[in-house]
Amino acid sequence: MSAETLLSLPPEMAEAWPYQPRYTQVNGWRMHYIDEGPREGKPILLLHGNPTWGFLWRKTIPVLVATGHRVIVPDQIGFGLSEKPTSEHDHTLDGHASNLVALVRHLDLQDLTVVCHDWGGPTGLSMALHEASRVRALVIMSTWAWPRPPAEFHTRIFPWRTMHAPLVGPYLLGKHNALAGRGTYLSVVGRDHFRDEAQSVYEGVLPDPATRMLTWVWPRWIPLDDNARAIKRFEWLEQELAKTKWPAMIIWGREDEVFDAATFATRWKQILPHAEGPHMVTGRHFLQEDSGSEIGELVREFVSKLEQRRD
Amino acid sequence: MSQVTVIGAPDLSGRRQAFALREDRVGHYPEFREFFTRIFDLERVGLSKPGYLRAPSGMEYAVVFTGRSGEAFPAGVELFALPDALEPLDEDTLDRDLWAILGWMIDGVGAPWSREDLETTGKVYRIPAMR
Repeated sequence: MSAETLLSLPPEMAEAWPYQPRYTQVNGWRMHYIDEGPREGKPILLLHGNPTWGFLWRKTIPVLVATGHRVIVPDQIGFGLSEKPTSEHDHTLDGHASNLVALVRHLDLQDLTVVCHDWGGPTGLSMALHEASRVRALVIMSTWAWPRPPAEFHTRIFPWRTMHAPLVGPYLLGKHNALAGRGTYLSVVGRDHFRDEAQSVYEGVLPDPATRMLTWVWPRWIPLDDNARAIKRFEWLEQELAKTKWPAMIIWGREDEVFDAATFATRWKQILPHAEGPHMVTGRHFLQEDSGSEIGELVREFVSKLEQRRD
Repeated sequence: MSQVTVIGAPDLSGRRQAFALREDRVGHYPEFREFFTRIFDLERVGLSKPGYLRAPSGMEYAVVFTGRSGEAFPAGVELFALPDALEPLDEDTLDRDLWAILGWMIDGVGAPWSREDLETTGKVYRIPAMR
């Protein structure tokens, strides 16, 4: 039986995610991704974070595909339909960034627009800097790429550090799937709509406690002090991104109270002063849930302008 | 007052170790590792034997510590319920016991960590044990 058959979504999920599943091995892990639109189209890579998967981009993908773009959406290892390693030590920031390097090399993507959300930022931007010759442009939303801390919220004992504390993380986020369920629900604007349309899909692809490991491991990779594991990578990210000249666009959720626009979009404008935006859309942290199509239109217009500049 | 108590090694004949919860990185916040080291005398005991707890339901639990080359000991901790060998676990009871053990742990770790914050977090995320 092929991996595609084994890993097919249940019918109620497949209706909302009608894309052909594709798989490749990255660093020994099985990565699921979709690759839609014409091969000759300029590729756009949509990167999710914690605790979502490619499904987060379901309203954005059709807008881009309809206008002739090739859209690649991987499920980062540990999420969605990709393999979900079950030891905390299987997950490192560099490892996840390297998984994306392996994917873009496997597909030999060129002239790539990298669209980053949440941990899709630190991983995807690390990949972009490492594979700079493949990159054409960046789109940034509700993420960060500087040493510490991303937000005052992340320094608080309640609720952030308590939620992923030793043993508490495996209990709350593992046994009870608190981040994919309630946590995501609280981080959208249209909560009733999200509950009816999407919540069970996010919960359903993380069916057992061991499959949810990265939901409490990623929070532990956010640097809170100078001894943090990822501090050097984040210092490198900020320094190197500030040297880049790639066209860039910033999109932010108006209601995002964790990665608030006043702090985060402003900081991004300091790092990437040439970036368009920030374009403000309806949305908390998971702004694609409330404004997925509008985000698609913004990305489409942005990429279209890049093509006109070339002509 | 905590309803969780540290106990001596129970009689394990006719019982099994049933997996309950695993933490690979107990020292992510070092005060948690220090708590377990203190409570179970791990600098002396090391890996020679587990610790044991009795939870509010009366179920006893083994607290198994794990080591990892290059990291301070213990690197991880695993909780196992100790039911009669062929007796299935009652999921609701297990869940409430685990929640009580987490509260006991947070009390022991101490400020700035607090049971109030833990319980409020449990309410925000609608954990059954907090309903």
